[in-house]
Amino acid sequence: MKRVNTPLSARLRRLAQGLAVPAVLLALWAGLAAANRLPEQILPAPAAVWAALLDSAASGDLWSNTLISLERVFEGFALGALGGLVLGALLGLSERCRIFLDPLFMFLAQVPTLGWIPLLILALGVDESMKVTIIAWASFIPVVLNVHQGIRDVPGSLRELARVLTFDRWYSVTRVVLPAAVPSIFTGLREGLANAWQTMVAAELFASSEGLGYLISMGRQLFQLDLVLAMVLVLGLVGLLVNGALGLAEQRLLRWQEHAP
Amino acid sequence: MTFQVPRILLGLMMAAGLAAAAAGAAVAEPVTIRFGYPGVGADNRLFAHGDIVAVAHAGHFIEDEFSGDPDVKIEWTFFRGAGPSLNESLAAGHLDFAAGLGDLPAIVGRANGLRTYFLMGDKVRDTIYLAVRPDSGINRLEDLVGHRLSQFKGTNMQLAADRVLAAHGLSERNAKFINLDVGGSLAALNSGSIDGTFGSIELLQLRDRGIVKIPYSTKAEAATFGRHQSILVTEAFEKAHPELVQRVVNAFVKAARFGADEANRKAVFDFWAKTGFPVESFAEDFENERLANRLTPVIDDYLVGRYRDLAARVREYGMIRKDVDIESWFKPSYLDAALKAQHLEHFWPRYDADGKKVADGDVETTKLGAK
Amino acid sequence: MSEATIAGSAVQGRAHVFPRAPLNRFLLGLVVPGLLLCLWQIACWARLAPDYILPSPLSVAERFRTELHGGTFAEAVGASLSRVLEGFLSGSSAGLAFGLLLGLSRTAENLFGPLFLAYRQIALFAWVPLLSMWFGGGEAGKIAFVSLSCFAPTAVNTWRAIKAIPAKLRELAAVLTFGPLDYVTLIALPGALAGIITGLRASLIYAWIATVGAELFLDIAPGLGGLLNEGRDKFEIDLMLVALAVLSVLGFICARSAAFVEKRLLLRWRLG
Repeated sequence: MKRVNTPLSARLRRLAQGLAVPAVLLALWAGLAAANRLPEQILPAPAAVWAALLDSAASGDLWSNTLISLERVFEGFALGALGGLVLGALLGLSERCRIFLDPLFMFLAQVPTLGWIPLLILALGVDESMKVTIIAWASFIPVVLNVHQGIRDVPGSLRELARVLTFDRWYSVTRVVLPAAVPSIFTGLREGLANAWQTMVAAELFASSEGLGYLISMGRQLFQLDLVLAMVLVLGLVGLLVNGALGLAEQRLLRWQEHAP
Repeated sequence: MTFQVPRILLGLMMAAGLAAAAAGAAVAEPVTIRFGYPGVGADNRLFAHGDIVAVAHAGHFIEDEFSGDPDVKIEWTFFRGAGPSLNESLAAGHLDFAAGLGDLPAIVGRANGLRTYFLMGDKVRDTIYLAVRPDSGINRLEDLVGHRLSQFKGTNMQLAADRVLAAHGLSERNAKFINLDVGGSLAALNSGSIDGTFGSIELLQLRDRGIVKIPYSTKAEAATFGRHQSILVTEAFEKAHPELVQRVVNAFVKAARFGADEANRKAVFDFWAKTGFPVESFAEDFENERLANRLTPVIDDYLVGRYRDLAARVREYGMIRKDVDIESWFKPSYLDAALKAQHLEHFWPRYDADGKKVADGDVETTKLGAK
Repeated sequence: MSEATIAGSAVQGRAHVFPRAPLNRFLLGLVVPGLLLCLWQIACWARLAPDYILPSPLSVAERFRTELHGGTFAEAVGASLSRVLEGFLSGSSAGLAFGLLLGLSRTAENLFGPLFLAYRQIALFAWVPLLSMWFGGGEAGKIAFVSLSCFAPTAVNTWRAIKAIPAKLRELAAVLTFGPLDYVTLIALPGALAGIITGLRASLIYAWIATVGAELFLDIAPGLGGLLNEGRDKFEIDLMLVALAVLSVLGFICARSAAFVEKRLLLRWRLG
């Protein structure tokens, strides 16, 4: 796809438009708070939210908790994605596996991920293992679904080609089918990471002693709306960065696809 | 054919009609008084225990007070999420009275802009217990160093526990605290995820069943380390219906009178047993302790001093970021009026800020078995 | 799809082909779950774990029966379903309107698009504490959360679908001198219908997730999430398993019905 070179002025204008609404809202928020028209328990002043953010950054709480949350997400995601790749490939490649394993998987996948947490807490307690397990499961499902579908969607013509070239099974899978399914695999990975992120927050809200979700939960219990808002913003920012990183990786790895015949 | 109504009869009917309309206009729109209680009973039963509000609720004191007013409805909500959840409902405008809100959530709420008046005490000097697994080898508070504890953040249980732990050298630095509610704490304790949790009488029957061990309680030090609950009303409701507020306070004072009287000890425990917890637990909790020691509504120097002190601690622990105005919070006028009307001004003893008694109370002469 | 299967088996060099008849496939699909259930039941009979830690499939089924006859179960399911529905209807309609706005108006897209994308970065459950502080933890808070969860999927898909309408159709509308209303009703909506329905289906899934989440995190009230909480508090795993099984079945029914409605709608518009 060719990059259209929009003139700098047009891009700047777009940027300004994009920032306009948030800027207006922020000004409105600050104005209402300054005029004392905003009850604290509905929306604290932007300055208070900023102060809460700075406080937690200064005390080190922000960094240590963010790091812990990130660790959990990546641990869980790695486990879930790996397992998902394996099961997804099995389901996509082997009709036998599909018949026997798919119904059970789909039945389990229908349950909202969160619903498993109470049971998991009874089984594994409230430590890291519970959180990593549920995050892994949340990543697992979309990876399986997308890899499965991606492999199934590989056009018959490609498979025909593999047969005509007398590739053996292993070769045809690794050189033809899997590469053709890479876009779907990446979609699955991206969804899996998004799920992992969402589940991490939910699991930390449930029972935790550290993490961004814990800070939000504690802010809620202590009725510190400014802390809650500050942490929600941090979550958004970190989420953006993580998604952006994955997007970049995907772009890099998929570049070769554009040059494929 | 036309019916000739005598003029006098017509006049009487009109007068009656006008009178009825006038009477109706006095309590024109129906009012629902919404009470919130920060806790639930065993198995999430919608009952309370251990305080004046529990007696009032189980004994229908509020409903009796308004039984003659068809336009006034009473609504009770019990919050599994304890004080923090109640605060949320208060903030959203869904409650009129916070009946029995704990000290920490009340202070935190006020610090963050919840506009309420402190009407009367609900329970003071409440004991908390430390529960650990029977096989854990923890026999004293100091043994908790390096272990994992659960805390229900934002509740008066947390504040009391924090102060006890601090007094014995424990803090975030040498023990790990996990935010869990009551049900979650017990499950986590059982499964070994945590090593200890603080709680109240619900732990006593668990100890009797061998599920937990209780190596420590604040019973001996309840004057310093106990927790408190109070009855608050929203400023909005107080402004709109001061007469209703007075009647509610009257009813709560009646319940307090009943609950503090030693002669009613058994009846009070039976009320509390509606939560599903056994009477024996309440008996043990109040062993060698008079009901009136905890069930006292008076706003004396002790109570004000406690809340002032707790507010300072809460600020110190960083749980609130600004100072709280405690002085203007108390509105004892309703309580004083109720006590006067029921001749109870000298019923409860009063204490000064250091906990020393400055006035005797008639309740101290009540005895079990006396009628 | 079938050609891939044949090609696949041909590459493997196998002579037989797997059963195609739906009934046979369905039955075979039950083999593994059935086997696991049997193993589970045997493990319980052999007392490999105490009853309260691992209830047997039979005791779970029994629990289901008692709950059903107990009376509150129907209430719980009904409460959860009503939350899903209420939240879905309010959230998706708002999302649809917003998506249409962003898709149809370049200015709106430039003004609100970035903010919306930024909003989407924030994990859904991070909003639970805020919503419960604003709306309380009762029904209002729960429905608010479910609505919120339904907003974004519908909005995003609608937005994308409208933007994906081929330029040719827009030109056609200009040629036929369609006014804006005509354009929306005769060209935009039908053209974007497939994408909109994808968004609605995604919203429905999120509605379930949010409903269970709201019931777990907010005040106790009748609901399937409430049953999970109850089971956890009372350490009654059989109750939790009943609730989870029901959730799975309901989720499946919802997904299937949504797919069915989608197929019918698209067929009607001859877009399938």
